[in-house]
Amino acid sequence: MAGPELLLDSSIRLWVVLPIVFITFFVGVLRHYVTQLIHNEKKVDLQQVSDSQVLLHSRILRENGKYLPKQSFAMRKHYFNNPETGFFKKVKRKVIPKNPMTDTSMLTDMMKGNLTNVLPMILIGGWINWAFSGFVTTKVPFPLTLRFKPMLQRGIELISLDASWVSSASWYFLNVFGLRSMYTLILGQDNGADQSRIMQSQMTGAAMAMSPDPNKAFKSEWEALEIVEHKWALENVEEELVCQDLNFRGLFKAEVQVSVD
Amino acid sequence: ITSTNVSLSCISEMRDKLRKWREENYRNSEQIVDVGEELLNEHASKLGDDIWIIYEQVMIAALDCSRDDLAWSCLQELKRQFPDSHRVKRLAGMRLEALERYEDANKLYDSILQDDPTNTAARKRKISILRAQGKSSEAIRELNEYLEQFVGDQEAWHELSELYINEHDYAKAAFCLEELMMTNPHNHLYCEQYAEVKYTQGGLENLELARKYFAQALKLNNRNMRALFGLYMSASHIAASPKVSAKVKKDNMKYGAWAASQISRAYQMAGRGKKENKCSVKAVEEMLESMQITMS
Repeated sequence: MAGPELLLDSSIRLWVVLPIVFITFFVGVLRHYVTQLIHNEKKVDLQQVSDSQVLLHSRILRENGKYLPKQSFAMRKHYFNNPETGFFKKVKRKVIPKNPMTDTSMLTDMMKGNLTNVLPMILIGGWINWAFSGFVTTKVPFPLTLRFKPMLQRGIELISLDASWVSSASWYFLNVFGLRSMYTLILGQDNGADQSRIMQSQMTGAAMAMSPDPNKAFKSEWEALEIVEHKWALENVEEELVCQDLNFRGLFKAEVQVSVD
Repeated sequence: ITSTNVSLSCISEMRDKLRKWREENYRNSEQIVDVGEELLNEHASKLGDDIWIIYEQVMIAALDCSRDDLAWSCLQELKRQFPDSHRVKRLAGMRLEALERYEDANKLYDSILQDDPTNTAARKRKISILRAQGKSSEAIRELNEYLEQFVGDQEAWHELSELYINEHDYAKAAFCLEELMMTNPHNHLYCEQYAEVKYTQGGLENLELARKYFAQALKLNNRNMRALFGLYMSASHIAASPKVSAKVKKDNMKYGAWAASQISRAYQMAGRGKKENKCSVKAVEEMLESMQITMS
């Protein structure tokens, strides 16, 4: 424990810590409902659905093909990979690359996302910084290096103060991310107030669904399927079976259950 | 006989029963109608948001039991709450189907599909209409087209295999069952159905495959008696065939004998402690002997 422990005025707890928690929480709930109001249904393309299912099918063939007879597996592999008529070779989808700058629907989506999430965060963060400045709010339970001081202790110009003591702005940001599980509890999964998930999706960006390039996906699936060999899992199944008695436990009951109860 | 003071635990019991039946896809429609009707008429206020899915479940069960009055009232409630929903439209279509107004039902489903071409439920209902009308070849054709686009729909593959079996097109039925086996490698029932189709197709190669898949079904679930009998039959059949080599004959007779011993063992265990045990065991032995395939 470095340095003497500071004793904070208990009115800080009453008038700063708790109000920030409530403000963050209610703003989050508000954001969720606003997102639901201005959210528009994503139209699913039949082609995309079909393609993604085909890719899934091919993957299952690779993984579980060993349970099928050799001929059936060969027939299906042939269907996909045949040099002339195979599905992956023959089908080329026309891909329109979705440029985020010019594609209007994605542009409006991005704008709406920014509006509902980033803007309130900035506004409220700034207001809290202005309203609750000049004093220390709370202490994080683990020691921090001095590098964090200017970031976490805005407005408090004390060189000797431990970096673990943070200002109210940092308490606000802590809340924004910490209340995520509370939102899940109250609003159910997939809620619009979950900011970190939104930020994640913004970063991974165009990696959603098959829209970017089904052709590439087809090609990689074709390669993967080519190298798969059929090793029949049922080769020795009878031998394994007859070497021991069957386990009939649970097959016979004193009273037979007639109705579904 | 319902009292207005039914305790809360009773209500939650009924809700849990309905949920269990819903999640495990039971088709005990009369029971669902009984429990559901009581729940909806007496305790609707205590159900919260669950009430809508219970309406749907009870409505489908009511259609099964020809209770159009109950189905109509459920449908009205759902329409009022979700006026533009495709899901509710599908339920309305199902009611028209139950009343055999197939033309109207078809029009309704077509309107859903115009709005949303990826709606699988409406397409499947249209195929069921064809099946209900007895037009199995058209149903098969439509189902094939559907499966070309929605390759992963297992319910559809199973339906198609049933249709093919009814048409005695066993090769294609086997193909459908292979799809199911591939996506559910641990489901012993699909293995067993596949083996049965192969056995029905006949021919030495198919019998061998049938034997293998009966054995696989047994391996996945030791208690599948049908697979055990199937194993016995296919092994005996191969052993009795004149075209096999001596080694194959010996192997198959071994498998057949093992299967027979397991069957006797099962019947002995079943009759344990009962007076009729000796008679039933003897009956099983006689049955096994009579099932011996003799060379023709």
